[in-house]
Amino acid sequence: MKIHEFVGKSFLKDYGIKVPESYLIREDYEIKFLPAVLKSQVLVGGRMKAGGVLFAHDEDDFRKKVKELLKKEIKGEKPYGVLVEKMIPIQKEYYISLILDREEKNISILYSEKGGIDIEDNKDSIIKTNFDEFHDKIPQKISKILPNLRKLFREKDLTLLEINPLVEDVDGNLYALDIVIHLDDNAIFRQEWAKEFIEDEYPFHFVKLDGDIGIIGCGAGIVMATMDAVKLSGGNPADFLDLGGGAEKGITIQALELLKSYGIKKIILNIFGGITKCDEISLALVEFKTNNPDIELYIRLTGTNEDIAKKILKENNMNYYEDMYSMITDAVKVVSLND
Amino acid sequence: MINGNERVCVQGITGKYGKLHTEKMLKYGTNIVCGVSKNKSVKYINGVEVLDNMYDAVKKHNVDTSIVFVPAPYAKEAVFEAINAGVKKIIIITEHIPQQDMLDIYNISKDNDVIIIGPNCPGVILPGISKIGIMPERAFKPGDIAVISRSGTLMYEISNYLSLYSSGIKVGIGLGGDPIIGTSIEDAFDYIMKENIKKVVVIGEVGGNDEIKGIEKALEKGYNGDIKVFFAGRTAPKGKRMGHAGAIIEGYEGSIEYKEKKLKEIGVNVISQIPELGG
Repeated sequence: MKIHEFVGKSFLKDYGIKVPESYLIREDYEIKFLPAVLKSQVLVGGRMKAGGVLFAHDEDDFRKKVKELLKKEIKGEKPYGVLVEKMIPIQKEYYISLILDREEKNISILYSEKGGIDIEDNKDSIIKTNFDEFHDKIPQKISKILPNLRKLFREKDLTLLEINPLVEDVDGNLYALDIVIHLDDNAIFRQEWAKEFIEDEYPFHFVKLDGDIGIIGCGAGIVMATMDAVKLSGGNPADFLDLGGGAEKGITIQALELLKSYGIKKIILNIFGGITKCDEISLALVEFKTNNPDIELYIRLTGTNEDIAKKILKENNMNYYEDMYSMITDAVKVVSLND
Repeated sequence: MINGNERVCVQGITGKYGKLHTEKMLKYGTNIVCGVSKNKSVKYINGVEVLDNMYDAVKKHNVDTSIVFVPAPYAKEAVFEAINAGVKKIIIITEHIPQQDMLDIYNISKDNDVIIIGPNCPGVILPGISKIGIMPERAFKPGDIAVISRSGTLMYEISNYLSLYSSGIKVGIGLGGDPIIGTSIEDAFDYIMKENIKKVVVIGEVGGNDEIKGIEKALEKGYNGDIKVFFAGRTAPKGKRMGHAGAIIEGYEGSIEYKEKKLKEIGVNVISQIPELGG
């Protein structure tokens, strides 16, 4: 889960790393200092280039630009608020980040002498190291903050902590000017502060895509494989929807209703029930189909209580498939005939 | 990995899934010698003795392997307890374990020569002999193919296909889809080479490049069996989390396009439709 800059900055401050003096504006505000940097609090990258960071020199300028930023969507995202910061006279910009590295099975450190908004073009200058061997690779004036960053990374359950730029002012003080942090979703239960930012409103995993064929399954792998097979057969998946393990009737109906709310007329259900009981799913399908006869359902159910599920479907004159590929071929074929 | 002779303890045996799968594993023939639970009121589950902690389990029943169903917030503590008690193989079924907890688990397991499989995985099955896991056994007909998978449900789907239309399965190893896992594809290949298994199906996903690294290493070590690879997530959009923690494309190197290209370069067969695995 991505976390807003103003939260990341408050953590840095708590862990003894200098950040510019700042405050957050969401609605009413006062002007505490000028000139000021105004930063839209969005979770998308490339905010600066998209016009999400502005500079205010006088009071009128401040009011005009705060109003503008509060309204402005950056790459389709509405801002959480505007962070107002004091300007720091910059002498040099660096890049430093900590990542939870799946390949190394360790926390890796990435460092560059050339920080700033063009870091993407300076990838070759990035040095990768870790906490056992950073001393020889990162200058001492930078590396002195690393133990604190590590502590922050561990205690807040982060998977990414990126400071870009980390700047040196004319007096040689280090300041973090921007920070990107990602919280491990699995650790939200012990990170109380994160709870107010959670937006996941469904009891399943859902990602909207651009196509027109709805996809529902149990387990991320099988849902992705179903999406891929639809695409390879010439169709276009409308979504990724993983019911997870042990989905019951109510959740299945909620999932079907959600796809319907996007105007999807054709839904593929590929269920391999391990923990999930197929009969629960079939009851949901019967109820949904009765209320929505115009929506076509392509069903493949196998696994736990498969026989009961198939009996329920038969009794209600609903068809099902024995394997996923014949189902997908049919679902995609009918689309092209209608077009 | 597993050989069917393990003396298995179920950690979290009194929970809903621990209880259910203890019954299923016992029926399959797995040698479950005891369970452990913090719920002190239950003394037996399906005739299996329930103990308070892993130290007692090892002392009383000579446990060498555990399967973990303990909920995520307590899973690290449970695994540490098993390692400290001297257990040498630990299969973690629990999903949603914090990644930093897994880092700690990984490090302590390395220091103590403990094999960890998972987390967030379906476990390991030797079809017809034993299973330390939660997979539907019907999908695993005994045969000569090793299935190693980062995805649980897709492992069932593909194994079911192989059981119906191929020579069947020698071993099914669910590695789990999380970013930090105990046993990698490379480790799984070490086992496959040791057991002299000549056919392997690798089931991968978007994200990371464990598949490429593992297969490259196996080839370097001289593995000369038949490898087929299937990936899920060709259509997954970049930067979106697809369900569970692991399935996210982290830049180009996590994309299937890249992984497929790399594998083809080293002569490994990547198939795009499950039915191509038959025969």
